[in-house]
Amino acid sequence: MSFRQKLLLLFSLTVFVCVAVISASVWSTMRRSFEAANTESANTVAAQFRSEFQRRGDEVVRKVEAAAATDLVQRIALEINRGGSDSSGYVTEARTLADQQHLDFLELVDGQGTILSSAQWQAKFGYPEPAIPSAIGTAGGFLKREELPNGSTLGLFAVRAARVGEQPLYVIGGERLDQGFLSSLDIPAGTRVLLYQNLEDKWNPKSLLDLNGPAAGADKFSSLVEEVRRSGQDSSGVIRWSADPADAESFHAIPLKGPQQLLGVLLVGSSRRALSELQRKVVSTALLVGGGGILVAIAASLWFTARVTRPVKSLAEAARRVAVGDLAAKVDVESRDELGELATAFNQMTVDLVQQKDRAVQAERVAAWRELARRLAHELKNPLFPLQVTVENLVRAREKAPEMFDEVFREGTSTLIAEISNLKTIIGRFSEFARMPQPQRRPVQLNEVAKSVLQVFQAQLQHKGNITVKSDLDPALPEISADPELLHRALSNLVLNAIDAMPDGGELAIRTQATDDAVQIHVSDTGAGLTPEECSRLFTPYYTTKKHGTGLGLAITQSVVSDHGGKISVESTKEKGTTFKIELPREHC
Amino acid sequence: MRRIGYLLLAAASLLSVAVAATRPRYGGTLRVAMQASPTTLAVSASDSPVEYWDSARIMALVADNLVTLDAAARPQPALAIAWQNDTSARRWQFTLRHGVKFHDGSPASASAIAKILGDLHSDWVVRASGDTLTIESDSAMPSLLAELALPRNAIVKRNANNLPVGTGPFRVAEFQPGRILKLAANEECWSGRPFLDGIDIDLGRSPRDQAIAMELGKTDLIEASPSSSGNNGARTAVSLPLELMALTFPSNTRAKDSRVREALALAINRKPIQTVLLRGAGEPTASILPNWMTGYSAAFSTQPNVQRARVALGDSRQAPLTLSYDPRDPQAQLIADRIALNAREAGLTLQVSLAGAPDITLVRVVLPSADPATCLREAGRELNLPAPPIRGNSVDDLYAAEGALLDGHAVIPLFHLPVASAVSTRVHGWEPSRTGEWNLSDVWLEAR
Repeated sequence: MSFRQKLLLLFSLTVFVCVAVISASVWSTMRRSFEAANTESANTVAAQFRSEFQRRGDEVVRKVEAAAATDLVQRIALEINRGGSDSSGYVTEARTLADQQHLDFLELVDGQGTILSSAQWQAKFGYPEPAIPSAIGTAGGFLKREELPNGSTLGLFAVRAARVGEQPLYVIGGERLDQGFLSSLDIPAGTRVLLYQNLEDKWNPKSLLDLNGPAAGADKFSSLVEEVRRSGQDSSGVIRWSADPADAESFHAIPLKGPQQLLGVLLVGSSRRALSELQRKVVSTALLVGGGGILVAIAASLWFTARVTRPVKSLAEAARRVAVGDLAAKVDVESRDELGELATAFNQMTVDLVQQKDRAVQAERVAAWRELARRLAHELKNPLFPLQVTVENLVRAREKAPEMFDEVFREGTSTLIAEISNLKTIIGRFSEFARMPQPQRRPVQLNEVAKSVLQVFQAQLQHKGNITVKSDLDPALPEISADPELLHRALSNLVLNAIDAMPDGGELAIRTQATDDAVQIHVSDTGAGLTPEECSRLFTPYYTTKKHGTGLGLAITQSVVSDHGGKISVESTKEKGTTFKIELPREHC
Repeated sequence: MRRIGYLLLAAASLLSVAVAATRPRYGGTLRVAMQASPTTLAVSASDSPVEYWDSARIMALVADNLVTLDAAARPQPALAIAWQNDTSARRWQFTLRHGVKFHDGSPASASAIAKILGDLHSDWVVRASGDTLTIESDSAMPSLLAELALPRNAIVKRNANNLPVGTGPFRVAEFQPGRILKLAANEECWSGRPFLDGIDIDLGRSPRDQAIAMELGKTDLIEASPSSSGNNGARTAVSLPLELMALTFPSNTRAKDSRVREALALAINRKPIQTVLLRGAGEPTASILPNWMTGYSAAFSTQPNVQRARVALGDSRQAPLTLSYDPRDPQAQLIADRIALNAREAGLTLQVSLAGAPDITLVRVVLPSADPATCLREAGRELNLPAPPIRGNSVDDLYAAEGALLDGHAVIPLFHLPVASAVSTRVHGWEPSRTGEWNLSDVWLEAR
């Protein structure tokens, strides 16, 4: 990953995190605000319901008072006070009164709390009415659990006494607290009310009623209802109907208590769709703004990182040019900051490098001349010495032994001719190295070149007799484009060196092989081997490890290989031998 | 003197009025209202109590039995004037009343009567010889006289219209099935022509309609509630308890556990039901036969005991049971509701419903005979109980047999109920029997 990419990523992450933190903060604040508003709305609805509940209670009270004031109740009260023991005539009276007053429940109860007549369960006469002791004196309506033939239900009741004599006659009447009651409530739009009739010890989903009867999905309310049953206090919660938050509803649970126990739980609910849609809009806006911000930040980061990294890239490019030897590479100094200082330092560094290179080249050149001079002196010194001695012998023979002069002269001239020839050879070699020809390329089979070289040296090897030749030539070796003469010459140098390296005999191995993009030829000997230092200087012109070498053979070989776009390397292990490897590219074919 | 003369004249006038009011007179049509709306005139074993009484009363007007029973279960002569049996009670010989004719003029001879009885009882061998009728059976028939006195054994033929042709004081003049039955006096009745010229029976009238008709003076004789007081001066006659209200368990009931049945029997508080819902009529009972018939009914306790009921129920987790009732009985639903309420106290849940197959049924059955053994047998048959194992004629034998029927609470007796009728003030000479018959042959109507 580039520095620019890292910078871009860093800037983008920073912007993203900032946007995320801000969005989360806005989201949290908004959510709290909406929840507070929702709770306030639910409380308002709950307050409205309590008011409605109070109003309905007052209505029941009025109806019960009206029933207690009827002539029928007064007559029954009178009969009770007169000691009338036959209550058989009252069995149906409560139903008559209930029908008159439009009450769901109505019972006539004597002073001992015994039911004389029951509208809701006519067969209940003679049984005690358990609510009477605690309900006597209650001014308003109260909740009561009412037993019916087919089960229990809840009712909103009121009790009033008809007092004609000492014995009171209680009229306890009420309205059923069920879906019908819910449907008669005046509740705000957008809300709905459910009623849980707490008639059993355990949660019973069938006891949860809405306007149509048993509420659908009642089990989802169990935890909320159980919370109210446990605490006896208001509670609230969110009922989620599906994965879509817009389908959820907020419910406020209100305990409905009777004189002694919790008899019901009223659940006032409002849809969270508006809230959810608003939240969704906010989220969409936040995402849009955040996304836009991130894009802007990325664009800004691109511009900024481009601005920051341009000098760095220039420096990197200049460094690459320097690395490939272009010491003229310069970097523009565009600022005075750290990058500017870096560019200035870089430019100074290249100047210094150029100067150092010039100095090194000059020193190398001096060293080369010195080496050349040393080699020339060394090469020329050897033939010159016999020349000098021969000439001095001729002079000395002329002066001291003229009778032997002719003989000496003949010997001396032959020596002179031989040494002069030797000098000419030396000079020719130097001259030849100085004017190495350019390769004349044509398709060449390297195996054929190798065989040709071995053919040349066959006689010499047979003469020595103690060197075995091992040839491992790859038959699938492709042709390459090369100058066969030069390759022959280069390979001959390697073979000659190998033969020289094995004065006591050994094995000379030539092996060729093809790789994906090159052909290789390995020339190995089992001679004394070379030191690493010798290996490193082996291809230096005029460097030789042999007594009579010119030090130009491997230099010429390297020059030929280099002119063919190849490379030559050497691996040597002391006392085990040396292997030269020439690798020539195939694309020249 | 003149004053004394006026007083004597006034006394004579009052005396003449009194004599005129008590002297029977012939003529007139008695208007009767009945709940039942039969399509055929016969006594059927499957009749409800109301239908039974109505059909039995109609049949009693049209036909006679060989013998009748009085309230003390003593046999009284009817078409048969004398009888005797062998020691094994397998063979009975009856001497028939002479000169009796059916409404169609044919003689009610021994052979005619033998054919009628033979058709009714395939297990009897009925022979006629002169004025003598012989009934034989493979098994002993100690209660044959009570059996012959049952309404279903009335001596009656059928005409081409399938209408009954008997020997009774009235004959069928017109019958519109389910609506109207008109009877005319049998001029040649062996017991003498009735005072009434005829009886018009309005069928299918509810008790409320009957009461209103009586109140408006549109009818003379109705079926009344035993607890009702006479309206518009009407006289009400209440019989001895002749019906049994009880809880029965159909064969497919889920209440097969005798502990559940015992708990239910112990949970029911009969007294408030009798006092309030039956308005004091009837008697709480735990026996099939009424006390007036046996004298031992009190030996079967009617006292509720909820604690014992709960103990009896124990840990039996009985599912809710369905209690059904006869919807034609206006008091039945409320009584069923009360029973369900009592049962709930003991931990039993009864759902009063007419839908579906009931587990328990609140029924009324007729106790059709004053003879205890016959009555127990007939009631047992109505209650789908096995035939009572009556070993002898003693009360102990009867008690043991009834106890065996009630063992295991196959039936839970609740009340013995009377039947009642009411007549308007223009009806005279009405002496209804304590066993529910109307006896209209001696009734006469006040002149309008």
